[in-house]
Amino acid sequence: MSGPNGMLYGGDEIGALVFDPGHHSLRVGYAQEDTPKADIPAVVGVGPATHVPEPEEKVPDGNVTQSGTKAGNELRHYIDVTELHVPRTGMEVHTYMKDGQVDNWDLFEKMLDYCYAKVIRSPSEHHPALFTEAVWTTRPAREKLAELLFEKYQAPAFFLVKSAVLAAFANGKSTALVVDAGASQTSAVPVIDGYALVNAAVRSPVGGDHLAAQAKHMLTNMHIQMLPIYSIQSKEVIRERERGRYTLKTLPAGLTHSWQQYMLRRQYEDFCHCVAQVSESPYEERQAAAAPMSHYEFPGGYHQDFGPERFKLTECLFEQTLGAPHLACAAAAGCDADARPALWGSVVACGGVANSPGWLDRLAKELAARAPSSHRLKSHAAPSPTERRFAAWIGGSILASIGSFQQMWISSQEYDEGGKGQLERKCP
Amino acid sequence: MADILDILDIEQPTAEISRDSILHGDKVKKKYVTAKAVKRPEGMHREVFALLYNDNKDLPPLLPTDTGKAYKQTKAKLGMRKVRKWTWAPFTNPARKDNAVFHHWKRVSDEAKDYPFAQFNKQVTIPSYSESEYNQYLKSEDWSQAETDHLIDLCQRFDLRFIVIHDRWDRAAFRDRSVEDLKERYYGICATLSKVKTNPWSNTVTMVNGEKRIYHYDAEHEKKRKEQLRRLFDRTQEQIDEEQMLLTELKKIEARKRERERKTQDLQKLISRADSGNLPATTQVNNNNEGTSTPSNNASNIARRHDRKLHKKKLTAQQRPIRTVESVTVEWSGIKFPEARGTGVWLRSQRMKLPPGVGQRKTKAIEQELRLMNIDIAPTPTEAICKHFNELRSDLALALDLKNALASCEFELQALRHQYEALNPGKTLTIPPSICNSVADGESKPVGEIIDVVGSPSALNTTI
Repeated sequence: MSGPNGMLYGGDEIGALVFDPGHHSLRVGYAQEDTPKADIPAVVGVGPATHVPEPEEKVPDGNVTQSGTKAGNELRHYIDVTELHVPRTGMEVHTYMKDGQVDNWDLFEKMLDYCYAKVIRSPSEHHPALFTEAVWTTRPAREKLAELLFEKYQAPAFFLVKSAVLAAFANGKSTALVVDAGASQTSAVPVIDGYALVNAAVRSPVGGDHLAAQAKHMLTNMHIQMLPIYSIQSKEVIRERERGRYTLKTLPAGLTHSWQQYMLRRQYEDFCHCVAQVSESPYEERQAAAAPMSHYEFPGGYHQDFGPERFKLTECLFEQTLGAPHLACAAAAGCDADARPALWGSVVACGGVANSPGWLDRLAKELAARAPSSHRLKSHAAPSPTERRFAAWIGGSILASIGSFQQMWISSQEYDEGGKGQLERKCP
Repeated sequence: MADILDILDIEQPTAEISRDSILHGDKVKKKYVTAKAVKRPEGMHREVFALLYNDNKDLPPLLPTDTGKAYKQTKAKLGMRKVRKWTWAPFTNPARKDNAVFHHWKRVSDEAKDYPFAQFNKQVTIPSYSESEYNQYLKSEDWSQAETDHLIDLCQRFDLRFIVIHDRWDRAAFRDRSVEDLKERYYGICATLSKVKTNPWSNTVTMVNGEKRIYHYDAEHEKKRKEQLRRLFDRTQEQIDEEQMLLTELKKIEARKRERERKTQDLQKLISRADSGNLPATTQVNNNNEGTSTPSNNASNIARRHDRKLHKKKLTAQQRPIRTVESVTVEWSGIKFPEARGTGVWLRSQRMKLPPGVGQRKTKAIEQELRLMNIDIAPTPTEAICKHFNELRSDLALALDLKNALASCEFELQALRHQYEALNPGKTLTIPPSICNSVADGESKPVGEIIDVVGSPSALNTTI
């Protein structure tokens, strides 16, 4: 904390937790660490407790959170992949997120319970909690979160920061134009001196989910069947483009549609991760055909090389008015003219989609074509894929462990005195 | 010589006197015999050969050797001090108003200290005003008090980051205002309050020589500047391309213009040279005819001018009956030969090269002069000849300059005399022979001829 010569350096760790709820997953971990402790899918499986046959889940160590009775039926909540990805009769999968903010508070509570009990394994009263939020989070949602943390979890302190600001911090900037390509949407938010400009922020519903939907559409058109991986008992080695030979597993009856869809979406995401690539310039058949092919084996054993399709697939991310470059330009145009040179000088890209190979190059190239030539354009992104994906969490981790930040927390005393009304003032 | 022998590997004569042999005269020089003895076999790499047979014929070491005791001696002194304990201790932060208690790791010895990061808690001082003060001084037609309060509140919250303040402005309650409006109001309040109140706010009032200087915000100027910036940024690609195209066109036009000017100048030089080449001759004639032929002379000049239709202004200035005495400027420099060439070997004849600053005409004049003196233009460049030849040419150049100057002065004198006679008919101006050179001195005639041959630099001196 302080050196021998009286100089102050480093941060001050007070055991704070950082939560970064997203559409795809929730990241949680201790501040001052470089990666989150857990990256949990942002869905909760809800199923009737009576139908669960396995006895081992009754063990207190199991990843299952018990919940109260609901209309006579006991419900169980299944969280995280080890529990969620098991085929269970009547288990519906629900997401608690909607439009970038928490929507279903009951399910989100279950998620927080799980985080404290199974990830952090420490009582919530001991840890100040820093939450990230989308720029457009509404006031009721923010206040509800503060209420939840202080009243249910008895957190000693709480703070809310816009995820764009944190992403900028994670890249070492206090002023940046943050382009966040997430699962549900892509957004561009100008950040000035650590404050997000709310009115200049723009977003579009094109994100990772859209890409997965496109992949599904493309495979259907190619007459390739994406069998659910949980339904395959075994498969044989076959030659390329040969019809798959596999045996099916006997599955419990009554698997819900939502769970099946959820599992399939994961598989399409995997397909996108493996195959999709962004071409440097707008899609061109000839150029795409020249690029190396990418091999993919489907759960049923069928496998083939994908060539130009890889590039065609990602074109939906760069549509004229919905793509990241357009958003960045719109966001910069919405700012004061004095702020624009600084924003163009540090464009920060983050989010899971930003990890697609070639995405960053394409963004830089399109921005160079669109940005006013009088500005120096420079785009930044963390070199490693994890740092890009978890940019907001890492920024929160940095912020919550800075010594001079410790005065900014809303403490439980302050909450008791001032109520949740002060949230707008304290967490701009 | 020794270097060459070394390079060619020829045995040096033993009796040679060099600096080395004087200094270490009695030591016998070592000779590299071994290196000669072994020849590199055909096909063996040079590097491999060097490993086997180096100069002193030592074998390369088989084991990595360890020389020096650099890191052996300094021993890391670990565990010499007592371990200082860390504790997970509660602390309060003086920068917080609520005395909230957090926990962190700290040294037991640091127990009593204040929270060190509290020193970074810096706040901007924002002016405050009471209700009555507002009514007395700050009333504005444009701004209500609620709006002003909101502005001051935002300034406090966002530490005067006006772009952020503008972004978070409560648009539901108050009408949208530009950043400039907000700034104008804020700095206006600061200025007014610092005039009436005794305690000045540090950020808007500076003390210069004990006198208060209040920051004045020029909103109009800022608005104009922003508008210009906005226009600059909002240019479309076509506009930028057009501007670029126009700029290149402008450059082309300017280049053409310069070219034209250069050509006319050249032409004018030629004309004036021709004029001045003739004029001294006519003035000589006039000298004999006592000014009667002056009108015809002028007339012929005018006719010539009309023929050439060039640079009337300059020529008319020359032909104007009342002329002012132009000062004749000559560079009394001679030629400066550059002293040091670049490093490396160079030919001594390089030293005799005329520097690039000397013009073609001068070079030719010097050569002409040398020929008259029966001196070779390119003599053998020994040290002495080099020096003297350069000096001679420098003097020659100087002499030529002086002669040119003299000729032009002469011309001036004659011209003035003609002018005088034209204005006072019947009177003659006798120039005292002490200042008149050409009439008395017959020797100077050839000089004039030479100047004519080489294109009379005097013309340049008088007209340009």
